Amino acid sequence: MAAALEIPHDRLRQDLWRPLRGAGAWYIVAVVLVGLLVGWGLFAWGYQIRTGIGVVGKRRPVMWSFYITNFVFWIGISHAGTLISAILRLTHARWRTPVTRAAEAITVFALMIGAMFPLIHLGRVEVFYWLVPLPNERGLWPNFRSPLVWDMTAIFTYLTGSVIYLYLPLIPDLAQLRNHAAGWRRRLYKLLSLGWTGSDREWQALERAMKLMAGMILAVAVSVHTVVAWDFAMALAPTWHSTIFGPYFVAGAIFSGIAALLLVMAIARRALRLQAYLQPLHFDNLAKLLLLMSLLWVYFTVSENLTVWYGNEPAEMAVLGERLRGRYAPLFWVMVVCNFAIPFVLLGIRRLRSIGTATLSAAAVLIGMWLERFLIIVPTLARPRLPAAWGTYSPSWVEISITVATFATMAFLYLIFCKLFPIVAVWEYKHASDR
Amino acid sequence: MEHRWGMVIDLDRCTGCEACVAACHAENNLPLSDPASAAMGRAVHWIRVDRYWEGEFPHVRVKYVPVLCQQCDDAPCEPVCPVYATYQNKEGLNAQVYNRCVGTRYCANNCPYSVRFFNWFDPQWPDPLPLQHNPDVSIRSGGVMEKCTFCVQRIQRAKRDAREEDRPVADGDAQPACVQSCPAEAMIFGDLNDPESKVSRLASSGRATRLLEDLGTKPKVFYLQRAR
Amino acid sequence: MLLTGEFADREATVTALRALRAKGFDPEAIDLYSPEPVELEPGLLDRPSRMSLAAVAGGVTACLLAVAFVYYTQTSYPLVTGGMPIFSLWATGVIFYEMTMLGAIAATFLLFLWESGLLGRRAFPAPEALDPGRIYLRVRCEPHQLVTAGECLFEAGVVRVKKDKLP
Repeated sequence: MAAALEIPHDRLRQDLWRPLRGAGAWYIVAVVLVGLLVGWGLFAWGYQIRTGIGVVGKRRPVMWSFYITNFVFWIGISHAGTLISAILRLTHARWRTPVTRAAEAITVFALMIGAMFPLIHLGRVEVFYWLVPLPNERGLWPNFRSPLVWDMTAIFTYLTGSVIYLYLPLIPDLAQLRNHAAGWRRRLYKLLSLGWTGSDREWQALERAMKLMAGMILAVAVSVHTVVAWDFAMALAPTWHSTIFGPYFVAGAIFSGIAALLLVMAIARRALRLQAYLQPLHFDNLAKLLLLMSLLWVYFTVSENLTVWYGNEPAEMAVLGERLRGRYAPLFWVMVVCNFAIPFVLLGIRRLRSIGTATLSAAAVLIGMWLERFLIIVPTLARPRLPAAWGTYSPSWVEISITVATFATMAFLYLIFCKLFPIVAVWEYKHASDR
Repeated sequence: MEHRWGMVIDLDRCTGCEACVAACHAENNLPLSDPASAAMGRAVHWIRVDRYWEGEFPHVRVKYVPVLCQQCDDAPCEPVCPVYATYQNKEGLNAQVYNRCVGTRYCANNCPYSVRFFNWFDPQWPDPLPLQHNPDVSIRSGGVMEKCTFCVQRIQRAKRDAREEDRPVADGDAQPACVQSCPAEAMIFGDLNDPESKVSRLASSGRATRLLEDLGTKPKVFYLQRAR
Repeated sequence: MLLTGEFADREATVTALRALRAKGFDPEAIDLYSPEPVELEPGLLDRPSRMSLAAVAGGVTACLLAVAFVYYTQTSYPLVTGGMPIFSLWATGVIFYEMTMLGAIAATFLLFLWESGLLGRRAFPAPEALDPGRIYLRVRCEPHQLVTAGECLFEAGVVRVKKDKLP
């Protein structure tokens, strides 16, 4: 950390608390815009519930498409917080401090959004609670052997852990805010800060808890995306039944998570005027991590596709043909460009690496990773083992609307978050810069 | 001894006439589709006849394979259902519980034979078709998965009749609609646990094969074809 | 009696702490208040903690409960799916793992709330109006120890000292 960051307390608070006060014109415009998109998505979902799940583009044999793509995508994004926050905390990397809370917030919101998709995807959403082990008069319980129930357990655990992990380092900041707030804000911060006084007992307990939580949340995060990957890997469908899916998806999740974090950081830097705190150093480090994950993604993708091609099994080759040369080939090559070519060129060549190119690469990676999830699901389902059942897929307006609305939901939740809580952990930042 | 229902389809007799498909529609209250939804891939046919062409004109050969739910012993569709809407009952049938299905559609993804069908909407039958419905078979609502049941309602009736008449179920008492309607008598149905039944004898003949056998699903539909 | 000293920097605070500990004051009677955590050498003001133990205990408990629950649900209404055994550690191992982690996380959080004093016992109240740039050291002492404690504070360079009665 540069020595120039010996920022006094009141300057810190002034900079990092400024976004919490008032609401500028741009903010209101942004909230209204994303709010409208969210509303449109909710309308589309309501229409789907009322008219029937058939308003989607899914059909036999492609019974899973956009909703499961989104589900896997958003759960993948939720690995942003864990990697940055937990791993960098465990390795005592000092540059992490302005970035941890933003990352943890991404995790919580992405998890909440991702967890909605199994509901949106159900044919009979009115009985969704049958998936939850609730006592009932028939003595029926969910089938714990099903990977979907594993999903729910893993996501519930991860959501609980992530909320706690976001909340714990927020408490000292909330206490400071409480001391300087008035009205409903003061009541809110008072409630949430649990009477934090800053005593060393509290600090020691907090630091001990953070250390333990970092390790545990890491263990849970790895398992969560592995379990999501096992939704596919446990199935017999051609090219799904692969042992590599667990690590493949975890690597992909971390990849898309870092990209999401980079994008959010770039926007926050501009919008909240945090140029002094989110410095080129941070973007450089995140960009290097993104490049590393891009290379790892290439490694896994080549492994997947090479083994399928070399094995030459007819059922799997039909799927590979669809991906590489058939109907989905344009999407496949766009994915390769977005996930590999763009980050490799823009971030690998040191002269080209900057905040702007890092943001561009991050956006490209997000597109590429969404396409990757889509290309894992749809071509396989379109080419089942018996050729008489082969089919195609094209999305309907309902699916597209809901997909767009989830990005708007993420933006919406983040806008609200930035108004209520400081996006940089003030105490952690000061603590790290003092050392 | 429990029954263990199985089916034998003689591919050398099948003419591809699809009478079985029509009979199944009539017997099991299958939802209708229109040209648009059929083109989209949403038509429901619990039994379908797959056609495979081999060779170039004029030496073309065609093979007709009626494909229905194979009622696998190690069914891959069963463990992935999160709510136990599909399980194996004591008579070896892969039971689909319509009331329990929440519509995750995982079972359809995991079926290697693609024999599972989903109700995307509540089914509609224009008048007077509802008068034709079979009262022994429930109507499925939208959001629910369905598939061939080996006409379990006819099996139940055969067992009930046998119980009332105080005799065991005879071979040929229970006949699914497709088996009953086949003009070439290419389909045989019966109890695999009864070594004297036609099904057992044909299933152990030299011509018996099963679809996608190497996947280990242990299907109970045997296809007879001349060994090449 | 409560003696509160206000310090401007970390070094002065640590000097005062060392002096207090040398004079025999118990860590239980000393409290520090600061806007960021103060780095102390081990042994100076250690607070005993059972958090790691609680995490393990919570995890193991949750795991056993999960195994018992899954066993009960799968055997009370046994349904054969895919030829798999009715109760299978392989098929449901993921559930046990996740529940273990959930138990550990919950136990850690609960113990954080307890050991920090946020929920439950609090040693004694915090001083009012804490200036964020300063570190406050509060000592609980008998009237006859006041002079000794005060000396430790003044020799370390305290900026301001306040004396309060115990509430």
